[in-house]
Amino acid sequence: MGFSGRIGDFFIVAFPADVRILWNVLSLDSLELSLPAAERPLLSDINLHLPGGHFGAIVGPSGCGKSTLLKTIAGILPHTAGTIRWGGRNLDEKDLAPHELGYVPQFTCAQPRLTVRENLSYAARLRRSGSAADIAELVEQIETETGLTDLHDRRAGVLSGGQLRRLGLAMELTTSPSLFLADEVTSGLDPKSEEEITLLLQGLARQPGRLVLLVTHSLRFLEQYDSITVLTGGRLAFCSRPADLCAYFGATSPEEIYPLLARRDPASWGEEWISSPEELGFEAEAVVEELAAEMTLPEAGVSAELPSLVSQATTWFGRRLKLFFRDPAQAALQLALLLVFPAVVTLFAWNGLPNVKNMTMSPATNAFQQLKDALEFTSQSAKISTLVSGLAMFQVILLALMGSNNAAREVVGDRAILEKEKLAGLRPAAALLGMTGFLSLLVLVQSGWMTLFVRAVGQFPGDLLAQFLPFALVTAAVTSLCLGISSWTSSSEQASLGSLYLVGFQLPLSGAILALPEFLGWMVRPWISAYWAWSGYLQTLRDTRFYDLVRAVTETPLAGSEISAWMLTLHLFLGLICAFFGIRRSDWR
Amino acid sequence: MSRRAHRKPSPVLWLAFFAAFSLLGGLGAFFFQKDGDPYRTVERLKPEDYYENANSLKGNTYQVEGTIANSLGWSQEKGRLFSFRVHHGGGDRPLPLLVPPRFREINLQKGQKYRLKVRVNDAALLEVEEMSKA
Repeated sequence: MGFSGRIGDFFIVAFPADVRILWNVLSLDSLELSLPAAERPLLSDINLHLPGGHFGAIVGPSGCGKSTLLKTIAGILPHTAGTIRWGGRNLDEKDLAPHELGYVPQFTCAQPRLTVRENLSYAARLRRSGSAADIAELVEQIETETGLTDLHDRRAGVLSGGQLRRLGLAMELTTSPSLFLADEVTSGLDPKSEEEITLLLQGLARQPGRLVLLVTHSLRFLEQYDSITVLTGGRLAFCSRPADLCAYFGATSPEEIYPLLARRDPASWGEEWISSPEELGFEAEAVVEELAAEMTLPEAGVSAELPSLVSQATTWFGRRLKLFFRDPAQAALQLALLLVFPAVVTLFAWNGLPNVKNMTMSPATNAFQQLKDALEFTSQSAKISTLVSGLAMFQVILLALMGSNNAAREVVGDRAILEKEKLAGLRPAAALLGMTGFLSLLVLVQSGWMTLFVRAVGQFPGDLLAQFLPFALVTAAVTSLCLGISSWTSSSEQASLGSLYLVGFQLPLSGAILALPEFLGWMVRPWISAYWAWSGYLQTLRDTRFYDLVRAVTETPLAGSEISAWMLTLHLFLGLICAFFGIRRSDWR
Repeated sequence: MSRRAHRKPSPVLWLAFFAAFSLLGGLGAFFFQKDGDPYRTVERLKPEDYYENANSLKGNTYQVEGTIANSLGWSQEKGRLFSFRVHHGGGDRPLPLLVPPRFREINLQKGQKYRLKVRVNDAALLEVEEMSKA
């Protein structure tokens, strides 16, 4: 063994013929996190220096800031003062690359309807490039490493708590991260499972250059860690070897420490730790001494390249499609809506649209007969135009409802997993493309079947493709607008309610039933997808008497088919752009 | 590059985004409405000018919008003759409309609204050159 020491943020190990800089050191200097409304900072004056090849526990009573600290290190929460460095790099200037960070949150990131292998395979395909064979080999290797081989074909939804945590850790290993952060992954487990997970994490920390930090409330198995960090009230109360823990707090067992912490103000614990004689504090150099013999720099040849945007989008799409067919309730609901909604429309025209009886055009007809004709025609006009216009709008509203059902929960329903996957390198645009691909399939099937079925039963005249276009566009537009709502709301209930309001206001504001005052109409119509679809559809009947009758009765001006298609396309893109920014924003809860 | 937690969409971006939507919507409306009026370069016929001296308008081309009222006659060679009500100056004024045989496939009925390009022919009737539903 040669010399080891620390210069700034770097640990240097000098061998007789070799000098190595151990880059992977986590340094927190005077770290602080304050919220505007909070009385005291969530984290204050945190100073920590932990090297790679190290397994550390962050412990403390509930609400002391353990998970907050972990999220701040991961970049999920914004620190308000101080610096975080990884390998000497200030993370405010250049954040951790997705492959550098493994973050296992408290919740499970596995899809319960996918098997262990499928979850691992999709996680790997979203995070790193490589051929299918490479990914399969990697997944098998990780299964072996984490003891999941025998469970590979079991669905995540039926795994035990310990197995599920193991799967969560395994999913993070797909990128071989150098900084591995695990939040309460041993909570709620039986002692045996807890020990197994702790030992698994300890084994992971022995990888060259990898730092593993585990937030835990449990004070069992402390001897397994290289260091224990104790937080209280957002202050650092201790950070050293497990062997020094009880002595520092004057406790006979670790269980006595939390009650001791509660007896004093957190600030006084923090100040006491800062002023502790240096030899009591955790000296990272000592760990370097111990680990230098087995530590080397990570191999440069390992590919950390993210998959392309298209590859990520394709993977997302494939997984979404699989999840759809694995969820019988969702598939059954979609099928029911697909069959029932068009059938409900045709109840009003099951025997086909009625014939239009025209008025006599002969000027020789006597005045009484002309008056009688006009009266009959007016009465017929009112009925038929209401039927035709109503059927058009009914189809539009039902398609809008299907669009709302398609997308209202698409983002917010799995928001936590989405956030986790973004942290792991999923591009927001790729997620949006994947969702768009899946939703496009639904939109095409829904609008296509509605157009065909209603047209066939109601014997609607007009060009089939021209009639399909406004229906497809309105379904797509409402779907994308609801996707936007879903990406900006914080719960599925909010998203569903918002989407229902969006659809609910379409009918009264379209002017199809009651004409709006002229000024209000001009203000409102540009934003109402249903109006443009209704107008666009009625324009396809332009060469028929039905169009004349609708025009004769409705006071709302009908827009042309080109402008209708243009406005619906704009609505579609409006929703997609909102959804992109909504998916892109950070929304950890 | 700042950390992930600091990334938030700017309000200016939102304003620009909604301004772009309004602009695109407005441009679309302008473009398609202009495109949707094929006779916009043709002078609109004033019924009172026709009533005052129809012969003086012979050979001229106009656009006119109104409702088909009654059928006045039919000839295989010349086509169909209608009275065509044009709304003007607070009331309806009937005008004689000749629909040539080349439009025989169009089902013309009482009460239909049409926008037409017409030429005042040698008999001072409004002979349809182009027609589209209003």
